[in-house]
Amino acid sequence: MATSLSYYLREMARGEWLRNFLFVKTAPYETPPHFRDYPRLTGKECTHCLACMMICPTPGAIEVLKEDEGWNPVIYPGHCIRCGLCVEACPEGVLMSGRILESQFFENTGYTWTFHLTVDSTLCMRCGNCSVACPVNKEEDPQLAATGTGENDEVIMRVKGGELRILHEEKCTGCKTCEEACPNSAIRVARVIEAIHTAEEGG
Amino acid sequence: MKKCDVICPFCGCLCDDLEITVEDNRILGVDNGCTLANAKFMGKERLTSPIRRTDGGWEDINYDEAIRYTVDMLLDADRPLLYGWSGTHGEAQCIGVHMCELVGGIIDSTTSVCHGPSILAIQEVGHPGCTLGQVKNRADVVIYWGCNPLEAHPRHMSRYTTYADGYFLDNAFRDRTVVVVDVRETETARVADEFVRIKQGGDYAVLSALRAIVRGKGDMIPPSVAGVPRSQLERIVRMCKDAKFGAVFFGLGLTMTKGKYKNIRNAIELVDELSRHTKFTITPMRGHWNVYGSNEVFTWMTGYPYAIDFCRGIAFYNPGETSAIDILARKECDACMIIGSDPGAHFPRKCVEHLADIPTVVIDPVPTMTTAMANVQIPVAVSGIDAEGTAYRMDGVPFRVKKVIEPTLPSDTEVLGDMFARMKEAKGL
Repeated sequence: MATSLSYYLREMARGEWLRNFLFVKTAPYETPPHFRDYPRLTGKECTHCLACMMICPTPGAIEVLKEDEGWNPVIYPGHCIRCGLCVEACPEGVLMSGRILESQFFENTGYTWTFHLTVDSTLCMRCGNCSVACPVNKEEDPQLAATGTGENDEVIMRVKGGELRILHEEKCTGCKTCEEACPNSAIRVARVIEAIHTAEEGG
Repeated sequence: MKKCDVICPFCGCLCDDLEITVEDNRILGVDNGCTLANAKFMGKERLTSPIRRTDGGWEDINYDEAIRYTVDMLLDADRPLLYGWSGTHGEAQCIGVHMCELVGGIIDSTTSVCHGPSILAIQEVGHPGCTLGQVKNRADVVIYWGCNPLEAHPRHMSRYTTYADGYFLDNAFRDRTVVVVDVRETETARVADEFVRIKQGGDYAVLSALRAIVRGKGDMIPPSVAGVPRSQLERIVRMCKDAKFGAVFFGLGLTMTKGKYKNIRNAIELVDELSRHTKFTITPMRGHWNVYGSNEVFTWMTGYPYAIDFCRGIAFYNPGETSAIDILARKECDACMIIGSDPGAHFPRKCVEHLADIPTVVIDPVPTMTTAMANVQIPVAVSGIDAEGTAYRMDGVPFRVKKVIEPTLPSDTEVLGDMFARMKEAKGL
């Protein structure tokens, strides 16, 4: 015990050690360029395709909201895990974070996706929450979005003939808004997402 | 053939945007309607002719016999009860009041077992209400207290409050905050932004605590009120005060729990308090289709909204004494006519036993639990399907309901009108 204490005292009392300890030279604090912070807006125009919401693995982390005349994604830092998938999935480059956009550009990577909607009609109350809340339906049938009254059959889903019918599955962007709006978990969106690597041009 | 803008005859939402497919006077499909609307329109259980109880079963009788039986029963009775009225239209309710006055009976609607306490509270402190359209277009905070619209009024959230785009709200439900207050986590609570779990019977205390916080007296609130932490109550008050327009909807979880009409009074006074900071409104979630209309009709005809006793020759109103449950439990009435309601399924056992003991006539399109206590059942056309008339939505907006198919049975108005004419004749009027 006494031997080790005296050893430490001898070692640390050396002028060189004290100098190194107190006046250590470290690199100034700086966020490295590859650091993935919460996604930021690049200023490019959002087309409301909702790919960001589709790919987001965290509930409540991102949503696309209307501001005046345009749309823009909004990130909720408390929920976001900074995985950067929304940045990668956005076809318009609306979001940026770290070097994701650059590496995606140089490596020619991207995603393809398809969706499959299923409704459990024993759980479904035909309350219409999903078809009124669906952002694609809002574009296709503003009347449905404003009053719950379906006016046309161009929407993804609506209550028809006493059932919630999926009319245009192919229009689904996978944003999962319907799932969130359904109190009985009667509607489910299955996403099939594939990461792709396209060959370089001319290659 | 498609019939548009059809009004649903089921719950108090009176959704007026259904599309009904009709072929050969048969309903084939319902568009836009919830599962309750669908079941109502597609129901296949309807009676086709009046029935009378025999020793061992039922026999078919004709309308003349059935109406004669009812008229004799009501004229012979000393204290007849005319109960129900929520499933029928205003015109039939009018005839009901006239009939009741003529026989000196008691007329009561299902209000006395649902939102009766709300009316008592409104009589005390008024009603800061609004139409559902205002809520849809303006409300950014919606509070559901003691009700589960997803089960009882399935389209309430998608059509009138939460999910529909509003004139002043671009992002609909993303701009709105939904608070659900209930004793258990209901389906509605699952889509709410804030769920307040309250201990059974603690509504009055929680409403008082909210009022105190709104008044700036939050420091006198204990750390937990009826199981709700103070921090949550403070958060809700902040949310309400920051709202541009708030709407409170309450159901039987508030009216029929400990405290009854005092709960509603407290809720209305909370809304009043919040309206000093922003705009707040409160609306009862009237459940049974035209139950609001029964209150309107009874009020403009007798001066009272429900539980009206004509035994003195003039209208007398004292809920708790002249309401259907109390009259039946005291075994006071000696004949009962039930229309557009199913007390057999909802009344206490004691009341149902008395109903089985006295002569009872049920006017209803389908056999119900009440049929089991009835002596005669008279099937009628369903208001909104094969009969037309006036009905009131839960926010007090009257609608003219149309018929979508041609009736094969007489409507409530026709059956009651015939009864009333015969009663007047018997009385020499």
